[in-house]
Amino acid sequence: MSRRALNTILAGAVSIVLILWLVVPFLMALMWSMVDPGQPWSYPDIFPPKLSFERWKIVWETTSLSTAMLHSYSLAPMAGLCALLLGMPTAYAFGREEFPGKTIAQILMLTPLVLPGFVTAVFFASLLLSFGLFDRYPAILLGHVVLFLPFAVRILSVSFAQVRQDVVNAARDLGASPIGVFRVAYLPVLKPGIFAAFLIVFVLSMEEFAISFIVGVPTFTTIPTILFSYLGFDFIRTNAAVVSLILVVPNIVLMLVLERLLQSANPANVSGKG
Amino acid sequence: MPKALRIVLLLAPGLGLVVGLMALVVYRAAAQSLGLYNFAGTDTLGLTHWQDLLSNHNYWGAIRWSAYVATTSSLIAVALAYPLALWLRRPFRGSTFLSAMIKAPYLVPGLVAAFLLINVISFHGFVNEFLVWTGIWQKPVRMQNDKFGYAVIGLQVWKQLPLAFLLLTGAIQSIPDPVLHAAQDLGAGMLARFRKIILPLTAKAMQAALILIFIGAAGDFSFQSIAGPTRQDSMATLMTQLQGANHNDWNGAAVVGVSLMALSLVGAVAFAGLVQLVAKLAEKAR
Repeated sequence: MSRRALNTILAGAVSIVLILWLVVPFLMALMWSMVDPGQPWSYPDIFPPKLSFERWKIVWETTSLSTAMLHSYSLAPMAGLCALLLGMPTAYAFGREEFPGKTIAQILMLTPLVLPGFVTAVFFASLLLSFGLFDRYPAILLGHVVLFLPFAVRILSVSFAQVRQDVVNAARDLGASPIGVFRVAYLPVLKPGIFAAFLIVFVLSMEEFAISFIVGVPTFTTIPTILFSYLGFDFIRTNAAVVSLILVVPNIVLMLVLERLLQSANPANVSGKG
Repeated sequence: MPKALRIVLLLAPGLGLVVGLMALVVYRAAAQSLGLYNFAGTDTLGLTHWQDLLSNHNYWGAIRWSAYVATTSSLIAVALAYPLALWLRRPFRGSTFLSAMIKAPYLVPGLVAAFLLINVISFHGFVNEFLVWTGIWQKPVRMQNDKFGYAVIGLQVWKQLPLAFLLLTGAIQSIPDPVLHAAQDLGAGMLARFRKIILPLTAKAMQAALILIFIGAAGDFSFQSIAGPTRQDSMATLMTQLQGANHNDWNGAAVVGVSLMALSLVGAVAFAGLVQLVAKLAEKAR
């Protein structure tokens, strides 16, 4: 058998395994979310006896999902915006300046990623208690911003590094003001990076569980914390299926957009020069 | 404006905020583990909370469990990612689809991943229904919350394999073709090429993958509390239990938190050393 034929067979076999690995779990979640409340799905039925959107309606009308969605969908863009504003100057320094200790500074920026998430969450909550900060919304927002700033800074510093100095110089030589230089030389190159940084912080904030759970418990809910409530002590599979899909589907779409943005973040695409 | 001042001002809102808050968090954990900031009594600097936890078998059980799950998951994820990354090194028909499928679980939040797995392995989930249908099993078997933690390890591998794959693919793709062709022309077989060229040149990526997966798995809360054995705590679940409303033992939680940071550090150093040793041995072996 030729090497090429062997590769094709192998690719087919791995594809089947990966489809089972990925599609089956999602298909089961989708079916569980559509089990009709009047006809439960139990062993030995392979498929639910009746499918309907009744469960989605019940979850929306009888749980605090709408509040949790409001919290998650307002925290995420706020976190994205704050991370952009706070991360931009640091990203500029990392991307365009040379200074002693730059490598150490870049490593230190990654601290939130190497510290276990629940350690950060628990002792962040302890700090809030000591400082008397009991308002959960701004506390969780601060936690999300700090936790995800490294991602924003990393993406933006790559974008800043891609801005061509000759374009900046040309704009200055032609008499552009600092704002004008930013608009014509920086912004076109930074734009995909800005969108990408915003999106990644948005998606990560939507998914974040540790800080939202520890700081928010018991009254402040986000989509992940409400999902955990259906998976933990009070296990309600159908509700969990609905909330899982509400959490995961928009995020996957946004991540695909993010990948496109990162691919387009090439200076040649915007300046016409490689 | 002097350059040093300009750099400090540029770094302050981003790096300054991150380092400041994370330093406070680590300091708070260390200080609370030593009896300070006691929310349930008076502050007493000392090792009392450490002594309490060190004589508690739940604490040792949680350390052993987290170390076991983290080590096993990181080794399995990297062992599975290596052949996939090598195979998909050069594009072929369908390779983009395969890469996307391998990377997809990385986009799935941990809680959702745990729920998806529970559905698949539940009493009338896909695995049970399929095995009963094929006649391999006579009746469904309870697989959820197994005492060996296979479900938790499976979940960690499902979720973390893409990370290992991404890191290893990047390293493997950066090996220049002429280097591999030269080795082939000089008579090196597949195994020899792997041992003497690929392994040493991808050791750093392997180290990074093992370390990141280990740290993530050691600090796991979601998978353990949803799919883990009911009578076994991970370090994160023990820490939150102690800190929670039932115990309100923040200082005890701090001991577990500091131990978890120490475990992550020890695991990271151990994996870094192990990879270096393996790469050196593989390069030297004839």
